[in-house]
Amino acid sequence: MSTTATRVIVTKQPSTQRRLVRKPRPEHLTRPGQRSRARRETVAGYAFLIPWLIGFFGLTLVPMVYSLYLSFTRYDIFSAPKWIGLDNYIRLFTNDPNFIQSAQITLVYVLVGTPITLVAALLVAMLLNYRDRGAAFFRSAFYAPSLIGASVSVAIVWRAMFSSNGPVDNGLSLFGIELGGWIGEPSLILPMMILLAVWQFGGTMVIFLAGLKQIPKELYEAAEMDGAGPWARFRAVTIPMLSPVIFFNLLLGLIGAFQVFGSAYIISNGTGGPAGMTNFITVYLYKTGFSDGRMGYAAAIAWVLLIAVAIIAAILFRTQRNWVHYSGDNR
Amino acid sequence: MFSKKRSLAAVALATGAALALAGCAGGGADPEATYDPDEKVTLDLAFWGNDVRAGLYNEAIAAFNEEYPNIKVNATFLGFPEFWEKRQTEAAGGGLPDVMQFDYSYLRQYSENNLLLDLDPYLGGIIDTEPLSDQILQIGVVGDTTYGIATSTNAWGLFTNPVLLETAGVDEFAGGTWDEYADWMTEVTEASGGKFWGGGDFTGRIQNFELQLRSEGSYLFSEDGEPGFDEERLTEFWESGAELRDGVVVPQQRVEEVLPKGAFDSALAASELTWDNFGAGYLAGLGEGYTELGLLAPPITKEGAKDLYLKPSMLHAISAKTEHPEAAATLVNFLVNSPESGAIFGTNRGLPASETALEGAELDPLSEQVRAHEAAIADRLGDAPPVPIVGYGTLEEKFRVLGTELNFGTKTVDEAVSEFFNEMDIVLNG
Repeated sequence: MSTTATRVIVTKQPSTQRRLVRKPRPEHLTRPGQRSRARRETVAGYAFLIPWLIGFFGLTLVPMVYSLYLSFTRYDIFSAPKWIGLDNYIRLFTNDPNFIQSAQITLVYVLVGTPITLVAALLVAMLLNYRDRGAAFFRSAFYAPSLIGASVSVAIVWRAMFSSNGPVDNGLSLFGIELGGWIGEPSLILPMMILLAVWQFGGTMVIFLAGLKQIPKELYEAAEMDGAGPWARFRAVTIPMLSPVIFFNLLLGLIGAFQVFGSAYIISNGTGGPAGMTNFITVYLYKTGFSDGRMGYAAAIAWVLLIAVAIIAAILFRTQRNWVHYSGDNR
Repeated sequence: MFSKKRSLAAVALATGAALALAGCAGGGADPEATYDPDEKVTLDLAFWGNDVRAGLYNEAIAAFNEEYPNIKVNATFLGFPEFWEKRQTEAAGGGLPDVMQFDYSYLRQYSENNLLLDLDPYLGGIIDTEPLSDQILQIGVVGDTTYGIATSTNAWGLFTNPVLLETAGVDEFAGGTWDEYADWMTEVTEASGGKFWGGGDFTGRIQNFELQLRSEGSYLFSEDGEPGFDEERLTEFWESGAELRDGVVVPQQRVEEVLPKGAFDSALAASELTWDNFGAGYLAGLGEGYTELGLLAPPITKEGAKDLYLKPSMLHAISAKTEHPEAAATLVNFLVNSPESGAIFGTNRGLPASETALEGAELDPLSEQVRAHEAAIADRLGDAPPVPIVGYGTLEEKFRVLGTELNFGTKTVDEAVSEFFNEMDIVLNG
């Protein structure tokens, strides 16, 4: 609500100013002068854009197009790329068990980890929204893991925590759960990676918290008067009012989860083990490109990842109309 | 600029020299190729290793600077895999360090892509070839040109952990066949009370496979990259570890947890087959309570076979694009040949290949052990295999990873064999 209000003011200001300046000018001078000023403004605009444009073309667009080209070649860094058409893509899907495994575990990580992260973040955000006292402290406390979550030290600490006879193993033993170490166990390492991701819900939580604060109190009061209990208020007021924020967090969460790399690389010591269970797509991509020196093949993996993320994002956008409610939207 | 021109001239000369001296390692000195001691020069030196080795390199560089105060050496180091990732990116960008500690398995790839300096013009000149045997000099030759100088050699050996054996109350492995070794490991594991294991799954290492192949008169890969084994032979090899993987050797889960250390230097395994220069690192990793290790000959496949060989544990190579080839060669000569270098490194980089360096080295008991080991296996030493094919490093790693999957039981032997042959097809045939 308030954002639309400010936007109106911002767009109005320059136009009124311009009209004020323009008015006293003689009629015959207006048009050429206006045009040259417009051109000057355009030039100035592009001049200010240049640093960004250089970055965009030099660091993003050109390398991306080049990597698309490389994905159709065999390229070992040392000798020139050799065109092999679709061979890389064909091999990826028909003759590479590592890639299939890598895609599977990445999907599990994304599709299980992201919703859990969102639910955890929303729950904590609602708790923090409920009481004001000490909220700032808890907000920071819950946000802290996100700040340090991707760091090397945390991954190393998690390694130690989840090893055989580490705190987690010993702690679970107290309850009679004998799982052993998670780090070296192919069936437990993926849940541990998901746990590590969920633990870093702070960023998502802060956005949820901001969204919750935006929901007008009157809606809750009205609902309460109609006899809605806490659950009904949550379902009928909080969720619909928060749906644009949920959508935003879901989209960013999914895209971010697809790109998981640092934690997996450190926890597996760069091996993608045990038994390839932390060999997420980005880790496999990195090892293929930089350890094995198969850049063409690595580029093909990168493009498959990009297209997969794009498809999932597109599907998500398609479903928007069914559950996302924007304010002022009367659908 | 000047030195760049000179380096071009040196390369041109080198090409001529290589043609003229083909096959004659340690040819005539090039009078042009001498280092001017007054020239102020900065060299980048890169090596792989750990803090211990980094300390030794710093000592060696300090000793080098006493003799050559005008050559400033900037040394950097990384772990082995990261070292090669970094080099690959640098190779693409043309910015390799001037002097590199180099690995045998990458020598062919880098030299065939003209990334390494031809050392022939410096042999017998800046780089003293007197203390280096022909066999040693041949190690760094790819297609008649010398690209690397071996610092040291090592041979395959079997390390054992005396403390764990004492705990288990089992005698040292008395030598024998692979089956006898397996029986001995079983005995240790059974006596350990679940605290440690008799050894690791030796079928996870491609070198053990090579040993068996060499005993049968075959090889891993020929000069042209033809494998010396078929699916059936590899299946047989991996199957031979099936019983061991069933509770005798260290579970892969525990191995993953102690990374980047290994099972042996984490005192989880009482024995380990590996290169004989690993002892010092193992002792450092085991830490307190360890002063010595057992070092024995690897198990025998066939009596009288020449299954073992001396491999360069590492070489020194120079970037083809170095601006100071003479200074770089001077540094390489110092690191390889000088008694100071021998005294500082000992056997940290393997048993020094150069006689002068070896004389300078005061061999600690462990180094003495390595020397004794290499003497004891002398009658099993055959010709070294050709410089590894391009992509050998990738295959070696694939072999290891498949070994861990066999140990986990996440892949069957048949699946692993077909995956390895698939990978071989990709690596060898593009």
